[in-house]
Amino acid sequence: MVAEPISASVVIDAEPAEVYEYFTSVEAMVLWMGQFASLDPVPGGKFAVDVNGVAVRGRYLELEPPNRLLFTWGFIGSDVLPPETSTVEVLLRPQDGGTCVEIIHSDLPRAEASKHAPGWRHFLEQLAKTVLVGHGQNAEGQ
Amino acid sequence: MLMLVRDQPRSVNEIAAQFDISQQAVSQHLHVLRDAGLVAVHPDGPRRLYAIRPEGLASVEHFLSELWPESLRRLKIAVESKKPRGR
Repeated sequence: MVAEPISASVVIDAEPAEVYEYFTSVEAMVLWMGQFASLDPVPGGKFAVDVNGVAVRGRYLELEPPNRLLFTWGFIGSDVLPPETSTVEVLLRPQDGGTCVEIIHSDLPRAEASKHAPGWRHFLEQLAKTVLVGHGQNAEGQ
Repeated sequence: MLMLVRDQPRSVNEIAAQFDISQQAVSQHLHVLRDAGLVAVHPDGPRRLYAIRPEGLASVEHFLSELWPESLRRLKIAVESKKPRGR
């Protein structure tokens, strides 16, 4: 059984090409996700990131700089979501002089999807608030 | 961290010893995992032991629905703090 895709998005004050690097460069990746990364950004290349002790493993499938990436995603040692068993699509679209980053995570095992739908809406609302606050602080900080 | 508590329950001290981050940070991570229903806490005398919740692992979806918004928030901060836009 496969659940509905999970999606998340954020608008970043930078051009798509700049944001794209954060999905393909080890140095940039560990600045926002995970503590260790090993990345080979070519079709079929390795996508490995350790996030808080969870070993994420997958492969890059499609790379269309600077607007789109597709890679597989799973966890070492997980029976529920083993390496390379789900798919993450990243869309980078110009918006308001910046970039709208959208993550669409699909092919996930069904796990109480209906129960978590209200929680998901809550997280998006929280995200919107956080981004607004973060943006204000960032603008002042620069 | 989930791998550590997968095979046997462990205390915060035991878990923190495996990471290059403070025990306070480890506690915060455990709190997130517990809120996500991925780990359970069992009192063992003065200690609190953390163990994986097998039924919680089934809700990987929930784990990811927290991971992505938080990760994107960090991505935004990382990109925007690295290169101030010339405005």
